[in-house]
Amino acid sequence: MNARALTSEVLLGIVPIALALAVWQGISSFGYAPVTLLPPPGLVFSRLAQQLGTSTFQYEIASTLFRLFAGFSIAVIMGVGIGLAAAASPAVNAVVRPIVRVLAPLPKVALYPALLLLLGFGHESKITLVAADALFPILLSTYYGASMVEQKLIWSAMAAGTPRRQILFKVVLPAAVPSILTGCRIGLVISCIVVFLAEMISSTDGLGHMLVTAARTFQAVDMFVPLITISLLGLILNGLLQGLRSYLLRGFPEV
Amino acid sequence: MKVLPSRPDFEADPALARGPAPAMIEIDRVSQTFRTSGRQAHLALSDISLTIEDGAFVSILGPSGCGKSTLLYIVGGFVSPTEGVARVKGRAITGPGPDRGPVFQEFALFPWKTVLGNVMYGPRQQGVKSPEAEAQSRRLIEMVGLKGFENFYPKELSGGMKQRVALARTLAYHPAVLLMDEPFGALDAHTRTRLQNDLLNIWERDRKTVLFVTHSVDEAVFLSDKVVVMTRAPGRIKQIIDIELPRPRRRAELLLDPRYQKYVVEIERMIDDTSEDGLRP
Repeated sequence: MNARALTSEVLLGIVPIALALAVWQGISSFGYAPVTLLPPPGLVFSRLAQQLGTSTFQYEIASTLFRLFAGFSIAVIMGVGIGLAAAASPAVNAVVRPIVRVLAPLPKVALYPALLLLLGFGHESKITLVAADALFPILLSTYYGASMVEQKLIWSAMAAGTPRRQILFKVVLPAAVPSILTGCRIGLVISCIVVFLAEMISSTDGLGHMLVTAARTFQAVDMFVPLITISLLGLILNGLLQGLRSYLLRGFPEV
Repeated sequence: MKVLPSRPDFEADPALARGPAPAMIEIDRVSQTFRTSGRQAHLALSDISLTIEDGAFVSILGPSGCGKSTLLYIVGGFVSPTEGVARVKGRAITGPGPDRGPVFQEFALFPWKTVLGNVMYGPRQQGVKSPEAEAQSRRLIEMVGLKGFENFYPKELSGGMKQRVALARTLAYHPAVLLMDEPFGALDAHTRTRLQNDLLNIWERDRKTVLFVTHSVDEAVFLSDKVVVMTRAPGRIKQIIDIELPRPRRRAELLLDPRYQKYVVEIERMIDDTSEDGLRP
């Protein structure tokens, strides 16, 4: 794709976001909703800019990010590990497949009250919930990616002298990377949602907690600030993952 | 190249061992049955026996579905025969090994590695130190005519170039036997001709044993010392034709040579016969 096409694509992508902001601005300018309940975007963004400089707000962001990264990392390590093992070994697959089928459709948020009782109100319960929710898309896409590796790639490596037990790491894992990264992308979006949700339900800090506190005291502007923050964080993290993806997949045909 | 005697009498009489060319590959009464989804047994290869001498260029020719690729996979050690045994240098084949290097129609290059990385893979697996493996690989890449493309990824290359990389990757670990599974089948006619010429030039240098699967009669006659014609499923050997054309072969001269034309016509007739056989219930 050339630079001009890329620029026009970015511009096209900005249009709906600008429209949404315009509608938001319109609703509050034309008085459809009182400013105290629905503050205009300008007010929210200037509040955000002001908040970003304060150490308390930075602390809230840091807590949320820490939980998000810890949970997501655990999900990546476990998802890729279990997914590869299941693809490589029929025995592991026989053990993993039923439990995945039972647990994957379960709304993991339903486990949260139990996690709170077991692990307390701190980081542990939230990290566990994020990991549990992000795990399945990563595990499943790793499993399918590793199962679909072209047989002749494996044969080529074996003929070149690669022992059977090294094939998993020398051929199957690198060949499954495109599929694994697709799973990670879904897992990352889920992580953003779930960490916020967990903090809303029960927490003493973090962006979700900020939102709930502001809502309970009718601080409409402060309610929208964490909301905008988490979507900006999601945008940045997705961009970083996309960068990592185009680096790791530089040899693979475009998908 | 050290060749293990396949029969004890070679050991007993060294003069005899120098006589006939020693067998590189022996395929001894090999049959292959596949289980299809409907639990039916499908006989792909039936009672194949074939001996290939060291340094011979042998093509296997037959209609699609005659099991010619399966035979190649058995020699490669990728598939175990249901019955019979295949040997390389007198030892029964139990799995893939660097003495038999495959080149596939689908290229099967590692997409996450550059041209250089792909070619270096084999030597590195064989324990060759990195600088030495790199120097060897660069020479091979130059030999297959891809100097300057060392740092390209396979996706940035044309089909013909990819197949050159695949050939270099296989030659890099010095297999005694090249197993080529319709290697030029996915290429356009022009590229195909050029690669055939280049393959012959490379082969003339070190005369590796080559087992070459194809469905093109011209290609088989042009390249080979021997053409093995197979029948439609179940695959059997219909006939083995010795191609007694002088080497080095030049395409332009060969096309005008009546002996070449005779071989092509003779083998094409034979294949037409096998196709009709296949149509009979």
